[in-house]
Amino acid sequence: MFPSKALSSPPARAAYLSGVRDALLVIPSYLPFGLVCGVASVNAGLTTGASLALPALVYGGSSQAVALQFLQGNASLWVAILSGCVINLRMAVYSAAMASRVRHLSKARRMLVAAFLVDNTFAFMQERERTHPHDQHIVAYYAGTSTMFWTFWFLFCAIGIFAGNIVPASWQLDFAIPLSFIAIAATSIRSLPMCAAALVGGMASVLLFALPLKLGLIAACLAGLLAGLLTQTVSQKIRAQKS
Amino acid sequence: MMSLTVLQSWAVVFGLAIGTFLIRYSFIGLFADRDMPAWLDRALKLMVPAIFAAIVFSSVFMVGGQLAGLDQWPRYVAAFIASVAAVLSRGNMLVTLGVGMAGLHGLPWLVGLAS
Repeated sequence: MFPSKALSSPPARAAYLSGVRDALLVIPSYLPFGLVCGVASVNAGLTTGASLALPALVYGGSSQAVALQFLQGNASLWVAILSGCVINLRMAVYSAAMASRVRHLSKARRMLVAAFLVDNTFAFMQERERTHPHDQHIVAYYAGTSTMFWTFWFLFCAIGIFAGNIVPASWQLDFAIPLSFIAIAATSIRSLPMCAAALVGGMASVLLFALPLKLGLIAACLAGLLAGLLTQTVSQKIRAQKS
Repeated sequence: MMSLTVLQSWAVVFGLAIGTFLIRYSFIGLFADRDMPAWLDRALKLMVPAIFAAIVFSSVFMVGGQLAGLDQWPRYVAAFIASVAAVLSRGNMLVTLGVGMAGLHGLPWLVGLAS
C-alpha cells in the first residue's frame, strides 16, 4: 500500500511490523460493527458494487452507518451525505495534529497518510509517540496499523454484505451500532463542557427527530456544541471570579 | 427493503468519500501552512461528544423513525449498563458490545424466569 521505498530499511520495516501487531489486538472488535455496516448497505438499497466501495473509499464506520440509516429512512441523498460528513468532522482535529509529523513528506505521501486517518490509527500513533519518543519511523508504524485496519474493515463489511442476512433479525445486531458509539464516547468525554455537549446533543437528537429533511441529527450536534461552549464560558467566568 | 438506482448508489459513495477525504486532508495538505484556529479547535473538540451522544440517543430511543415505547425497555437498560461497562473498561469495544448485547437479550429472559 505505502511505497516500498519507505519501508526499505530494517528499522522502518520493524516499525511497520509492530504497527501490524498492535492493530491485531483491536481488530476483533471491528467484526460486529463491520457486519452491521455491511448489512445496512444492503438494506439501504445500495448496489453490491457501491456497497463494497463504501467501506473501501469512505473507510469510516460511523459515517457509513449514519448515511445508510438516513437512506433507509428515505432521506434525500444530499442530507445523507451531509450528515455522514458532519460525523467525520472530528477527523479535522486529527488532521491538524498530524500535520507537523508529515510536513517532511511529499504531497502524494501526505495524501496517502490522510486517506487512512481514522480514530484508531490516530489513537495508536499517539500511544506510539508516548512509548517511543522521537521515533523516526512513526510513519512506517502508522502504515502498519493502517494496512491492518483498512483490510479487516473492508473484509468485515464485505462479509456483512454477502452473508449478513444469515444472522437472524431477532438477534437485533443493529443494536451494536449505538453500543460501539457508547464505547467511543466513553473515552471522548473528559470535561464538564464535553459532558454538557453530550447530554444536550443526545436529548436534542430525540426531541428534534421530526425536523424536516431529517436535519435533526445535524441540528442536535449544533445544539450540543452550543451547550458545550456555554458551559465552557460560564465555568471560565466562575473560575476567574474565584481567583 | 428499498432500492437505489446505480447512479444514486455511487453518488452517495463518492459524495461521502470525497467529503471525508477533504476533511482528513484539511490540515495535512489544504491548509498545511497554517495552524488550526483556536476557535475551530475548541468547537470541534466539543462537537465530538455531541455527535456520538446524538447517534447513541437517537438509535437507542428511536425504532424505525418512531419514539420507542416502554415495551422496548431492554434497549434502554442494556444501553445504560453498557455505558457503565464502557466507562469502567475505559472504552473497551468488546466489553461494551458484550455487556450491551447480553443485556438486550438476557434481561427479558431473566424477567421471563421471574414472572
